[in-house]
Amino acid sequence: MKNKETVLVAMSGGVDSAVALLKIIEMGYNAVGVTMKLWEYNNVGGNTLKENNCCAIESINNAKLVCERLDVPHYTIDFSEDFENKVINNFVDEYLSGRTPNPCVRCNSYVKWDTFINQADKLGAKYIATGHYANIKNNNNEYKITRGKDKGKDQSYVLWGIPKETLSRTILPLGNLRKKEVRQIAAENKFENAQAPESMEICFIPDNNYKRFINEYAKDKVEKISKKGSTLNEDGEKIGENDGFINYTVGQRRGIGITNPNPLYVKEISSDKNSITVSEKKSLFSKKCKVSNINWLNNKIRLPLNAYAQIRYNGQISESKISDNDDAILVTFGKPQLAVTPGQSIVFYDNQEALLGGGIIELHES
Amino acid sequence: MIKTKNLYFDTAATTPLDLRVANHMHEINKDIYGNPSSIHQTGQKAHNIIERSRKKIAELLHCKQSEIYFTSGGSESNNIALRGVLKKGDHFITASYEHPAILEVAKYLEDNNIEVSYIKPNSNGTINPKDLKKEIKSNTKLVSIMAVNNEIGTINPFKEISDICKDNNIYFHSDAVQYIGKQKINLNKLNIDMLSLGAHKFYGPKGIGAIFIKSGISINPFIFGGGQEKGIRPGTENPSLISGMCHALEIATEDFEKNSSHINNMEDLFLKLLNETKINYKVNGSPRLKGIINITFFDYDGHSLLLNLDMKNIAISFGSACASGSAKTSSALLSIGLNEEIANKTVRISIGKQITDKNIYYLIDTLKEIIQ
Repeated sequence: MKNKETVLVAMSGGVDSAVALLKIIEMGYNAVGVTMKLWEYNNVGGNTLKENNCCAIESINNAKLVCERLDVPHYTIDFSEDFENKVINNFVDEYLSGRTPNPCVRCNSYVKWDTFINQADKLGAKYIATGHYANIKNNNNEYKITRGKDKGKDQSYVLWGIPKETLSRTILPLGNLRKKEVRQIAAENKFENAQAPESMEICFIPDNNYKRFINEYAKDKVEKISKKGSTLNEDGEKIGENDGFINYTVGQRRGIGITNPNPLYVKEISSDKNSITVSEKKSLFSKKCKVSNINWLNNKIRLPLNAYAQIRYNGQISESKISDNDDAILVTFGKPQLAVTPGQSIVFYDNQEALLGGGIIELHES
Repeated sequence: MIKTKNLYFDTAATTPLDLRVANHMHEINKDIYGNPSSIHQTGQKAHNIIERSRKKIAELLHCKQSEIYFTSGGSESNNIALRGVLKKGDHFITASYEHPAILEVAKYLEDNNIEVSYIKPNSNGTINPKDLKKEIKSNTKLVSIMAVNNEIGTINPFKEISDICKDNNIYFHSDAVQYIGKQKINLNKLNIDMLSLGAHKFYGPKGIGAIFIKSGISINPFIFGGGQEKGIRPGTENPSLISGMCHALEIATEDFEKNSSHINNMEDLFLKLLNETKINYKVNGSPRLKGIINITFFDYDGHSLLLNLDMKNIAISFGSACASGSAKTSSALLSIGLNEEIANKTVRISIGKQITDKNIYYLIDTLKEIIQ
């Protein structure tokens, strides 16, 4: 027991992290389960008695039951202040400036990894582990993230922003497992959460109702936005009205309320003008996009660079060219991409499916 | 799966059940199953166990049998006292560092048009009776001040406080959950009108407590039912829990000298050994109930200390625990004037009768290993 390295396993209360814990124990490590409490549901309403999601008491309790079953200690650590400052407030600001944020990426990049490593240091643990479906490969002390074996579940997309220096201390035990296998392992081991439903929502909006969340959390700011937004065509002419830009995301088709021979989609959102620009699908393709907040996970990156770009979770990849363009990074897609959405993540892979890095999509040129 | 080798330094949170009490309850659970309200002999047996316990507890606390009401524990007793006495337009005085079972009730009362004043403790962690005097108004109906603070272990001058209340014709309630069973009390000689206690703080079972309500005080109940406990706390009573609490209090009273001198010795040993280390520390609060040590380790984060000790199977306490198992900065410490940084380096180590000197040596060695 004494000579074993200690691994802090991030437990959300879900089935993935429970199996990750088991794998860590099977690898011979001394494991400690830790649940990060990121959010207090009572602060933002929603039906807190109904939802089952991470940070909800039931999920934390499930994590505790699995840990006890595997005879490892479990602790809950409150990171809610940091999470609110760095993730929630950013989510709201992004949303209110007409962009489509990805809070999970932001959490991984700015809260989760750093705080976990920090906590590992405090508890004398050498490594941290999570239940993400991706791999970390070590080649002569050069660490890289690669896609998970289960292509349908691969989560490398949400890991582009984690601090590079934490890779050598991170273990992703589910990288070579399929979701089906993970469920099976959980069931065989009688894990309390083996049957828990998949959580697809943002953890702090368990009812998946963004509108309600934003309205309750940032009431003052939302009230300032007029319910009478303009709907513009591609030439900038007003062709209708809508109930405010915050009700739309780029690529959205429903709720536009304008008749047209072909379906119309939201192409652009302007928070300044409280307007949305709509167009037919063919105008929604972009050849290029600007990228901010770049994080490279590989020391050897030199621009310009040819890589495979992916602009949404579980999306298709496209051979692209990444170059420096004055103050920003510019990506030129080999194949024009549909609904390149400002605020979302763009990530880059090499031809071995290793994650090179990523960034945040900014307003793009058509 | 339960780890038995745990070294338990958290008796202020709860105590292990005294084995004699466990056996006593087991015997009752085996034989006594009647409903205490039933007319037949099976019911009477259960009923008499309860009444015998009430008589004994009254004897141990020096009050009348009719003044003891059984509840589910300290929180419920506190609720009964505050919500039972106060009405719209009344003024209520309490301390800012009370247990949530008082503070949350106070919040509820404020929402229901009852005026509440909160007295701050001084930097020693006790309530100054002079501060209480200043808050008294013509409509002050009730004062509630805890006997011993649960986080800092400080003992409040509740005799003086109760006298002030008596002089001003105000009811005085005390949450004495941390006091009863560890110190002796003579309710006959004090001007206390209501007092809350819970069995699990003195090696009795969880889920059972009592409230002393002086004869003549009228209480508005908030639970309605079959009229048990004179309608103040209806619901079928649990004879084994009630008798278990009674037995635990008997043992605590019988063993009082032995236990308190043992706990004093253990605390002295702990502090003596700690002084021999290079650990930079300060014990907060005075006068203090021996065995509850609120201690700042200036060079170590309290939450991390708790986790690191737990990984070595030593249980202590930090901050205000919440349902999820995480912890927030202790508001009691902030209210005695510690800043947030210091409060976050402060933990509570509480020593019970089961602690041996070997345990203290192991605790010190482990602290040295972690902090130094």
